[in-house]
Formats: sequence, C-alpha cells, structure tokens
Amino acid sequence: MLITWKYRERNTVIQKLDPRGRIIFLLCAMVAIMQFWDLRFIAFFFLLGLTQFVLARLSWRETRRFWLVIGIIATVLSLATALTGRGEAGVYVDTHFLWQPEPFRVLGLTLRPRLSAERVMYLISQLTRIMSFALLAVVIPFTIHPAQYGITFRRLGLPDKLAFAVDLAFRFIPSLGRDFSVTMDAQKARGYELERVGAGLIGQIRNMAPLLIPITIGSVVGGEEVIDAMDLRAFGTGPRTWLKELKYKPADYALIAFSLLILIGALTLNLLDIGELWVPLWLQRMAG
Amino acid sequence: MGWGEVNRNGHLPLQVEDLRFRYRTRQEMALRGISFQAERGELILVAGASGCGKTTLMRCINGLIPRSYRGGELAGTIRLFGKDPASLPLAQISQMVGTVLQDPEKQIVGSYVLNEVAFGLENLGLPRQEILERVEWVLDYLGLSHLRDRETFNLSGGEKQKVALAGVLAMQPDILLLDEPLASLDPVSSQEALALIRRLADEGKTVLLIEHRVEDLLKARPDKALFLSEGEQRYFGDMPGFLDIADYREVKLPAPMVLEQARERQEDLPPLPPPAPDDGRPPLVEFDHVSFGYEPEQPVLHDVSLTIRQGDIIALLGPNGAGKTTLVKQAIGLLKPQEGTVRVQGQDTRRMSTAQVARTLGYVFQSPTHMLFAPTVREELAFGPRNLRFDEQTVRANVERAMDILNLRGLEEYPPLALSFGQQKRVTIAAVLAMQSRILAMDEPTAGQDYRNYTNFMNSILALRTEREDLFSAILFITHDLDLAVGYANRVILMAEGRIAADGPPEQVLADRALLQRCRIVPTSLLDLNLKLLPRAGRFHRAEALASLV
Repeated sequence: MLITWKYRERNTVIQKLDPRGRIIFLLCAMVAIMQFWDLRFIAFFFLLGLTQFVLARLSWRETRRFWLVIGIIATVLSLATALTGRGEAGVYVDTHFLWQPEPFRVLGLTLRPRLSAERVMYLISQLTRIMSFALLAVVIPFTIHPAQYGITFRRLGLPDKLAFAVDLAFRFIPSLGRDFSVTMDAQKARGYELERVGAGLIGQIRNMAPLLIPITIGSVVGGEEVIDAMDLRAFGTGPRTWLKELKYKPADYALIAFSLLILIGALTLNLLDIGELWVPLWLQRMAG
Repeated sequence: MGWGEVNRNGHLPLQVEDLRFRYRTRQEMALRGISFQAERGELILVAGASGCGKTTLMRCINGLIPRSYRGGELAGTIRLFGKDPASLPLAQISQMVGTVLQDPEKQIVGSYVLNEVAFGLENLGLPRQEILERVEWVLDYLGLSHLRDRETFNLSGGEKQKVALAGVLAMQPDILLLDEPLASLDPVSSQEALALIRRLADEGKTVLLIEHRVEDLLKARPDKALFLSEGEQRYFGDMPGFLDIADYREVKLPAPMVLEQARERQEDLPPLPPPAPDDGRPPLVEFDHVSFGYEPEQPVLHDVSLTIRQGDIIALLGPNGAGKTTLVKQAIGLLKPQEGTVRVQGQDTRRMSTAQVARTLGYVFQSPTHMLFAPTVREELAFGPRNLRFDEQTVRANVERAMDILNLRGLEEYPPLALSFGQQKRVTIAAVLAMQSRILAMDEPTAGQDYRNYTNFMNSILALRTEREDLFSAILFITHDLDLAVGYANRVILMAEGRIAADGPPEQVLADRALLQRCRIVPTSLLDLNLKLLPRAGRFHRAEALASLV
C-alpha cells in the first residue's frame, strides 16, 4: 500500500498558496538557477529558497534525513567534478593556479591534480546551486496536501493519467522507505548484517541482495496490484472528474507573476552573457 | 439516496457455463468446466483450498481476465445480466461487478478516505455534486463518516477493509465479489463484516464470498455454496448439501462437524502440545516493566512484564493495534524499550545486536515478500544459519529438516519468489526454523494458508518440539485465529491497548467471557465445545482429538 509524506497543517503563508502557483514557482526558479554560474546570482536564489523554508516553518528535525542525503550527494558530486576537472567545459578555463603539484601515477593512470581559482569558485557555485535546488524543493512534500498532487498537475495541463501517475509517484518514495525498513528488520531477524567486515567491494554489493531483491520485487508486484485495483474501478476509461477544486487567489497570481519575472529576467541575462562564472579579484590575485 | 436503479432486464445477474481458463505462463488449466448461476439478493459462498481456482474465477467475472491477464486460453461463457463481459467496456463492468480484494492494502489507491471512496466515481466522470452525495451516503451506510478526512494508510485493518468496500459500493454494483474479506480482521471486526455482507444481500446485492473459513461464514447465512478443488467444481447447491460433502481438512468447519467426521474416520490423532513446565529454570526472555511508543505522545506498550520459558507454546492474542507485533519486535531487539528492560537469556537487548538475539529468538514476519530473495528455496533456507556462522554440515542438515517439516519437498530448486503465497509463507517459516533459534516466533502463521496446510505444519512443528527439545525450546505465535490458540497453545497472552490483559493457560484465560469481549475476541464453536468437555478432558484439545472423548 502506498503511504504519504508526513503532512500536517502548519497554518503558514506557504500552505495558503495554491499548489499550482507553487509548482510554477519551483519550476521557474529552477530553470532560472540553471542560467547562472555566478555565485552572486545563485546566492539570490539560495536566499529565496531559505526564505521559503523559514516561511514554511519546517524544522531541522523533520528534514534532517533529506539534508543528510542531499549533503552527501552534493559534496560527492561537486568534489568529483572539481577534482577531476570534468564538467567545466564551456564554463571556465583554468588560468589562475593556486596549487599545481607534479603529475603522479596511480594504478597505471597519470593524475595531474591542480587547483585553480576558477575551479574553487566552480566548486562553491555548484554546491550552492544544488543546495538552492534542494531548499526550493524540500518544502513541497511537507506543505502540499497529499490529496492535491493529482489535481495540481491536471490543472497545470497534464492529461488525467499522467496527473494521477504524478500523485502515485509522490507516494512511491515514502512507501519505498517503509518497505526498506520492514525488509531490513525481517532480514536482521535472520541474523543479517548490512556491513560485513572484510567482504571487499564485490562482497559488499552482493551482501545488499537480501535487501534490494525483496524491495525491487515488492515494488514491481505492488505496482501490478495497484494497476489491477485501478482497472477494477474504471480508471482511464474516459475523462475523469477531480473531486478537489482549486481556485487562484490574488496572492497566487502575484507569485506566478514573480516566478515568470525571475524566469524571463534570468533568460535575458543569460542571452546577454551575464551571470557566467565569477572569480573574485582577490582570489585571482592570491593565485598570482 | 439509496442503491440507485438496479439492472432489471429480466436476466440473472450472473450466469457461468462450462468456464475454462489457462494462464499464458502455465501448462495446467486453472479452471475446468465451472457452471453456476446467481440470483439477485443471493449470497453464495465460494470455498476451496489454496490453488483451487477461486481467485481466477473472480478475475474472469470482474473482467481482469482477459483484459489484464492476456494471452491465456479462455473458453465457456459468462453472462452479466445477459451480457458477455468481454464485449463490455471496463467502465460498465465496474458498475455491475464490484471486487474487494483479500488484502485491502492492495486495493486502496486514494491517500485519504474521501479520495479513496470517490476514486471510482471520479473515473466514471460523474458530476462533482453527485460524487459527494454518493460518497457521503456510502460512508454513512457503513458507519464510516468519522473517518472521512483520515489518511488511508493510518487506518486499522478493519477500517481499511470497510473503506475498500465503501470505494466499491459507491459505484453501486449489483454483484459483489469479496475475496477472503475476513483474512486481516480481528474477530469482532469479522462479525461486523459478516453482518454487513448479509445486509447487502438482503438489500438485493448478489454476493460471491470467497473464503475457506466456512465456520465463520456460516454466521452470514449463505444461500448457496460453490465448492472448488484444483480448478474443478465439486459442488454447487444449497448449504446443507455442501456441509454434507465438505471435508474438514480442506475447509474450516464448525467443531461439532469436525468431531463427527473425525469420529467416522478414526484417524491417528496429531500430537498434543504438552503443558508448560514450571521447573524453575531461568527464562529465555524477560520483559521487566517495559514501555515504548513510536511517537513520544502515543505509547504502544505500557509497563509490560512477562517471561518466556522453556516449554512455552504461547498464543499472543488481541485486537488490531493492541501492540502484539511491537512486543515481539522488542523481544528480538529490533526495538529497544524506552522504559524498563528486555533481557534475552539474561542479557539486556540494549547491549545486543539483532543478529545476536536471533540465536535465541527467530522471528517470521507476516509478509513473505519482505524476506524472500534467494534464487532457490534451498539457498533461502541456508541464509539464516550461514549468517549465524553455523558450519556447512549443520546448515545442510537444518535446511533438509526444515524442508521436510514445512512440506517443501519437490520445491528445493524453485525460486521462492515464483511460488504461491501459501508456499512462500511456508518457506519463510522453514527459513527461520533452519536457524535453530531457541524460540520460534511467528506473526500470523496461518494467514493466507488453507486449513490442511496450516494444521499440517503446526502439527509437524509441535511434534518436533516434543521429540527434539534440543532444536527449539519455545514457540510464540501472534494470531487472530482463536482456534489456533485453543488447539495448539499451552499458554495464552491476551493484549489490549498495549497492556497484558491476561496471561495463563488457555483453559483459564479463554474461559473468561467478559475478558474476551473486552479484548474483541469472539468465542468459536471449538472453544465452546472444549469448555463443555473440560471437566472430562482436563484440558483443551483440537476438534479431531475431542472425537475420542465424546
């Protein structure tokens, strides 16, 4: 059975807004962020996300798992990009070197680690971009009523079937979390331990099978059961009525106008080549 | 608002003639020559053991076959009010035939009760006002109005079942297919469901009720029975005729009937559970004033104290949400007490890993799909003992023995995930049995099992416990099946609202009617018979064993 995110009424400005306006804002802000590598512009969106987070009255306690996962992904991704020098094509060229050791060989590969002012700024900008995306998105599952996803996406123009699929997809993630925890408990009761000392990388991956196989098979079988249950109640046989009604209020129009404004603004600046990677002068000077 | 216009075009609601079906991936026929008919307002019991074809028959009637199960061979005729369902759009069938699946969790797609009940009506594209009227009416009809704005996944098992039924009834079908609707309900919820089913039939619905627990179903006074065995129709007709030919080893019959059949057959009696000894040995598990809650403001266990000793065969009974599963999770160390202490063989579980506790207490989870992963049954069974670092010879010996006990011979090289639900359930029990833990704990071991299979494995496990005390010393099972407690336990723990309401021999605990009522337990014919014969028998027995005493 699919379960929903832990949702509760918080009586906040954010929750009073129409979910369509909020999804439009999220999409516009995300596309706008993607137009910039300049930390000063990205910081604006970071602050925008932070404001939304504070206005939504989310606590660290209820979101800490999310931040832990995003923190790990953002750090690994950014460090890997910065250290390998990959991903910078077209964004910057290393010119001001802060650290440039001699090349050395590891496992038959010649590594040329080097750190430039550009690469440092790219790393910081990338991290801030990811965290801004996360800040903007994390608020959604905690503050949009779980019964409103379907109608929100339907009224945003998606067909009935796709809109309901989005509704199911939002519930799939917490359901997967629940299945993971039950499976973990069931296997632990059989003496299973996730971390095996001295198993090696392949051994560790193989050791995940007792968790991954039941969860995967469970999801596939569960999916088929949901399809049967929906078929039996005439899903997809014709145009659908959505019980919930959504109505825009002045504040929602204001939010949508603001969203479009930042999107158009960002696209225009991008066309004018404004907002590319910014390397502060003091950092360039430090590199000599 | 009522049931709306009934389809009255002079035809019978349901006619099935020589129905045959074979799934695309199977060699054998799932149904062979099924013929019956159902009239308006008739309640028909569809009975049979696991794999008899009950679910396939249901899928043929509700249109999932051939729509969702393509490529199979379907022959014979089905008529819904004179029309061939294959020629009707699913939207139309869904207003003629409503299906409630065995597990309501698999049926509920709405995140809130209101959405769930309205789901089918939304799909039919009805006007919003009409949907709301119908939803409010059906919630009121089923006494569920107070749940209207609740999240579906937070409901109790009984509430989920009723909400699933509400979602189907809202579409005002004339025919209802109910697949084992009592499977996840506690006894009082089952009684309520049966009364409701009877009422629906009395109000003109044609109801097909699939169930192998015939005893319980008799309370809904079915008009007819259809008895299937291995895809074939063994009987269709009135109830007295069915009860004459029904075999207590295939379906669960009232105790007096079992007694009569057993007396005629004079079979070897299965071994009886020995009474719990009071030998003063230290307990295997000890709960000392344990309290626990998943949320700080909602305690699930309150000040629980108990011990599990060698020789105990404990039935843990209580209504849904009483804290039974949480109690066992505390014993195995998956949860740690917030107050008090749980000790396993004298050691505080706070200082033990679950793997360490597993040597003492092996726990079979309720759903097999959360456990099974190996490519073959043999490897699945070897997983636990290998985790506990047994030598290969012991692993092999344990696996072979567990396969014998759970009747898994012939399936050794099968992938467990491809087996039927009943077979999977037996694999999970065998997998834990092979770990040779001192205590075997099972959550609803008989759910989804037909009567023959579950009595067989319960008998084998008890026989093994009696003959080989070195293998395991105690058994604990969580169950809603009171007869399992009557016939197989030497100790009953009754739980209600997170507390131990009673703990003692079944003859003592289950004799207290007021206590049973408080814990939402409904006496069965086997309990009544045992209480009547107790002065002569000295203790409780299974129905077959009582035959020699009458």
